[in-house]
Amino acid sequence: MRIDGYRCWGALALIACAAGCAGNGDGLNANGQPITAGSSPTGTVTADLQSIEENVFTPICSKCHIGASAPEGLELDAAHAYDDLVGVPSVEEPNLDRVNPGNPDLSYMVLKIEGAAGIEGAQMPFGETPLPQSTIDAIRQWISNGAPNVPAAAAAAEARGFAVKSFVPLDKSIVNAPLKRILVAFTHELDASLINETTLTLERIGGPEVDADSAMTAPGAERILVSGAPAEHNPAVLLITPGTPLGSGVYRVTLRGSGGGALADLNARTLGSDISFVFTVEPAP
Amino acid sequence: MIGRLARFARYCLALSLCFGAYAVEAEPYLAVQFGFKCNQCHVNPTGGGLRTTFADVLAQTVIPNQQLATGLDNWTGQLGPYVRAGGDLRFDAQVTQVPEAPSVQEFSLEQTRVYLEANVIPDRFLAYVDEQVAPGGALNREAYVLYWSASHDWYLKAGQMYLPFGLRLQDQTAFILTSTGINMTTPDQGVEFGWERGAWDAQFALSNGTAGGAVKSDGKEASLNVAYVQSVWRLGVAANNNDQAAGSKSAFGIFGGLRTGPVSWLAQAEVTDDHSIVNAEGRQFATLLEANWLIARGNNLKITDEFLNPNRAVPNGEETRWSLVYEFTPIQFAQIRAGFRRNDGIPQDNAEHARLYFIELHGYF
Repeated sequence: MRIDGYRCWGALALIACAAGCAGNGDGLNANGQPITAGSSPTGTVTADLQSIEENVFTPICSKCHIGASAPEGLELDAAHAYDDLVGVPSVEEPNLDRVNPGNPDLSYMVLKIEGAAGIEGAQMPFGETPLPQSTIDAIRQWISNGAPNVPAAAAAAEARGFAVKSFVPLDKSIVNAPLKRILVAFTHELDASLINETTLTLERIGGPEVDADSAMTAPGAERILVSGAPAEHNPAVLLITPGTPLGSGVYRVTLRGSGGGALADLNARTLGSDISFVFTVEPAP
Repeated sequence: MIGRLARFARYCLALSLCFGAYAVEAEPYLAVQFGFKCNQCHVNPTGGGLRTTFADVLAQTVIPNQQLATGLDNWTGQLGPYVRAGGDLRFDAQVTQVPEAPSVQEFSLEQTRVYLEANVIPDRFLAYVDEQVAPGGALNREAYVLYWSASHDWYLKAGQMYLPFGLRLQDQTAFILTSTGINMTTPDQGVEFGWERGAWDAQFALSNGTAGGAVKSDGKEASLNVAYVQSVWRLGVAANNNDQAAGSKSAFGIFGGLRTGPVSWLAQAEVTDDHSIVNAEGRQFATLLEANWLIARGNNLKITDEFLNPNRAVPNGEETRWSLVYEFTPIQFAQIRAGFRRNDGIPQDNAEHARLYFIELHGYF
C-alpha cells in the first residue's frame, strides 16, 4: 500500500513536470519568429521563393528539415532551402532533382508534396494534412518560371523583362536652369559596360519656345556631351551628367534599346526598342 | 492522505479525458506494463521493427481480447530454420480540421513495413532488414548486421539503423522526436555498441550524422542512451551530439516509465541546441507524458500530453498536443485504434490549432 502511495506521488510529479500551456504569441509573427526579425508571412502563397519560404518552408517543412540532422540532409530554413533544393539530386530518387528549374513534373519535391505515384516514403509534409492545391500550384509555377532565387518584386520584374521604370525630369516636364543631372530608373540592374556615346545621347532641340511634342521627332540641333554611370547605391538607376549644367532650351534624351550594343541588363536582355523623352529647361526666375 | 492523492490523480485523469488528447502510437508502454527491456520483444535491441518469437507468442496469447483458435500452431515469424519475417500495416480513416481552412477527410495507408532477419549463426550473428514498402515505393529504413556476445551481455551492430535516444515511440510526429530529429524517419549509417547486463540497458552509436543524406564533412554523430530497468519502473538518460561543418547539434534527455496498477506511465523531457541553424533557432525544449490504462484484456486507453518550446530564446511561442486514443485488440495480430488529437499553439498560426479524428486498423505479425 505504501508503494502505491509513492507511485501516486511519482505520477503526480510527472504530470507537474510535463504540464505546460501554449504560448500567447505576443511579439511573434505567424511563423513564431520575433516580428522584428523579418517580414511576416502573408498567408497567400505566390510563385516566388520568398513567399514559399515564408508560408511553406519555414513554418511547415523546417519543423523537421532543419539543422545538422535534417532528414535526407535537406535543410529547408531560409539560409539553406535554395541551395539544397534547386538542381540537387534527391536522395530517395537520385534520377530526379529535388527542384528541376522549368520542370515541375520532374521535380521530386513536387511529387512528394503531391503524394504522387513513384515516390519513396510518405507524402510531405510528414504527419500533417497535405498542402492546399493553391499552394502546390504556386510552387509549381515558381519552378515553371525557372525557380528564380529572387523575391516577388524582382521575380515580377524578371517576368516583365528589362525596361525603363521612370526618368527625372519627367517626359515633357519643365524644370528650372541650371539642370545638373538626369536620372533614368530601370526595372533592375543595368549593364554599365554598355553605357557609351552611342547608347546614350542628349540633344538640345531648340529654345524653350519649341513645342515638346514636336521635339520628340525633330532633328537634334546640338549634341551635348554627357557621362553616364549607375548610381552608387542603386545599380538600377542611371545617372546622366552633362559636361556643363543645362541652360534654357528643349532637350531630348535617347537610350538605344535595340540592335547591336543596345543597353541591356546583366542577363543581356535589351530594352527592345529605343527610348526617348524630352523636357524643357527654363531660365531661373 | 494517500487515498486523497489517488482520488486527485484520478481527477486529473478525468480532466485529461474531458480536454481531449492525442494519438500517439507508442509501444514502449508495453515494455513498462510487462517490465521488459526493448530487446525482450524486438530483434533490434533498441526497439521497433521485427518482433521476437517471445513477442509473437505474447501477441497471440496475452495481448488480444480473445485468441482465435489456430490448432496447435502459433505464428512465430519463422520461415525456415534460420530466417524470420514480420510486418506492420496501418490504415487510417481520418478527419483533420484547421481553423479557417476546409477540413480534410481521407483514407490513408499510413505505413506498410516488412522485416526480415537471417540468423546466420543462431543467437550470435544476424543480418536484418527493415523495409517500408508503402505508401509509395520501397524505402529502406534499417539494414545491418548484429553480433551478440555468448552471454548476450553486449552486442555490436553495423549498418543503417535508427539512432538510440530516449523513448522510441511509434508516432514519428511526437514533439520529443521532431525536436531532436532522431526518429524512425531518419536512420543513419554507422556502428552501435550495446550493453545489456542485468538491469542496465545502454547503447552508444557513432554515425555519419546526415540522417540519410550525403556526407559533407568529417563530422560524426555520437549517441548515448543509458537506462536502468526494473519490473515496475525504469529511468534513463540520453545524450546526442552531431558535429557537422555547418555547426553542431546537441540534445540531452531524461526519460522513464512507471507502472501504477493498471496504468503504465511514460515520460520524457529533453533540451536541444542546434548551432547549425542560422539565428539560433534550434534551442528547443520538449516533454511527453503518457498514461496507458489497461481497462481490460485487449482494451487500452492512451492519454498523452506533449509540450514544445520551439525556441527557448523567444518567449510566447510554446506549443502543446493532447490526445486520447482507445486501442482495442479483439484478436491476435489485429488492432483497432480510434482517437482524437488536439494541437494548440500561438494564435496567429492556424496550423498549430489542428484537430485530428481518426480510426486506424493496425495489422502486425
